[in-house]
Amino acid sequence: MSGTGLRARIGNRIRSIPSWQVTLGLALLGLGFLIAAQLATERPRIRYTTQERTPLIETAVDLQEQQEELSAQVLKLRDQIHAIEQQGQGTNAAIRKLNAELEEARLSAGLIPLRGTGVVFQLEDSVEPAGAVENELDYLVTARDLRTMVEELWLAGAEAIAINGERVVPTTSIIDIGGVILANSAYLTPPYQISAIGSEDLYEQVVSSPGFADFVRARQDAYGIRIGYLEPPEVDIPAFAGTATLRNARPAPSEEPPASPAPASPGTGG
Amino acid sequence: MRRTRNQLTIAAVSFLLGLLVVTQLRAQAAGSGLGGMSSQDLTVFVANLNAGLDQRRQEIAALERDLATLSANQDRGVVSLGQVREELASIRAYAGLERVTGPGVTVTVDGPIDGPTVEDLINELRGAGAEAIAIDGVRVVAGSVPTGGPGEVAVEGDRLDDPFEVSAIGGAETLTGSLTRSGGIVAQVAATSPEVTMTVTPVDRLELPATQRNLVPEHGSPRL
Repeated sequence: MSGTGLRARIGNRIRSIPSWQVTLGLALLGLGFLIAAQLATERPRIRYTTQERTPLIETAVDLQEQQEELSAQVLKLRDQIHAIEQQGQGTNAAIRKLNAELEEARLSAGLIPLRGTGVVFQLEDSVEPAGAVENELDYLVTARDLRTMVEELWLAGAEAIAINGERVVPTTSIIDIGGVILANSAYLTPPYQISAIGSEDLYEQVVSSPGFADFVRARQDAYGIRIGYLEPPEVDIPAFAGTATLRNARPAPSEEPPASPAPASPGTGG
Repeated sequence: MRRTRNQLTIAAVSFLLGLLVVTQLRAQAAGSGLGGMSSQDLTVFVANLNAGLDQRRQEIAALERDLATLSANQDRGVVSLGQVREELASIRAYAGLERVTGPGVTVTVDGPIDGPTVEDLINELRGAGAEAIAIDGVRVVAGSVPTGGPGEVAVEGDRLDDPFEVSAIGGAETLTGSLTRSGGIVAQVAATSPEVTMTVTPVDRLELPATQRNLVPEHGSPRL
């Protein structure tokens, strides 16, 4: 049989397939892909499937959503307050000066979103299998890893840092709870992006530090934690969306001499 | 008849497809990492989220009060200098630019501790709600990093003495409880570095200095 004849027969055969079969075929292909993706999502961070945990997970997801809504509300209110203060700028010199100081204080506190030069590092869990006697958790990104990255960036001269959109401020803690990481009480999902604003050579400053080299050896070389970076033309850092209201600390009156601490009860720990 | 059956098959497959898309997106968006937690960890996690929610609700209430006062003043065509000054002092105190006073704890650290462990202690204090922290009279702000090996820790360029003292303003009971709990930082250090001791003392009134750093960013501009 000639090649032309074979091609014609194949062409006729394809044309004779009903369109519903093509649609069904494509839908089944999509279904297969999604089932595979669903299974792939269930990586090492998912291990428990007991029923009593389901309500807790639902509560956690619900609380996380509420927290995101409240954070957005905090930012909106701060914007409204900022706008009213700006409108009062022109009235007199004392107010203009106070507003300028207020703006500077907010910048210093991390309450204003920033854009500037910098770098974005990304940390991802290892894809290497853990050995029989090894701890699986060593192959996952930990809060300690994120804190080390943040510290290296500060030491290299970063001026503002955020992790997955959570601004690092004076009260920020980054903690592990059972394999998941929280920053500013917000749940971070992998991959972890640490964005930092600083000088144009911030990346070079970080990677040339001995501390960063130690970190790469300890986590990437030993366990396969994936460390990547990006140097976009501009880095965006959001404002802190948590509480900046002090409940226990008060600004100290400037005329008062420093007082020595007075123990309230016997010491603990040790 | 055959046409109807085909349409039903496609409808069933499409339904399944849609269901899986939604499941997949939901899993990736929210709860994926939570599936790996034990019930106990989930309970701690939920408690942390609740604490974060409470803080944000309080912040919203305070901001709404400020906004209402500012709006009322604006309507009357006046600006309350007192309110602006109060807000300025509060934000400067939060940032670390003002000296602050308040109750809290002191942690006396004795022995050859290293920089990362001091950072762990700071992180634990922050997690327990510390509002201001200082180490041997040096205010710890966002960019302060304790560095150095055992017995050679420096903060903001100042080498720490042995022993040295970490002071934190916050709820004294909560701070003490967090540091000295089973599995907390004091227990961890006792287990991993027996030659280092941490003594936590609740204090009625502490006074912490302001930072010497300039915290205004030079390479970033406000994005409003």
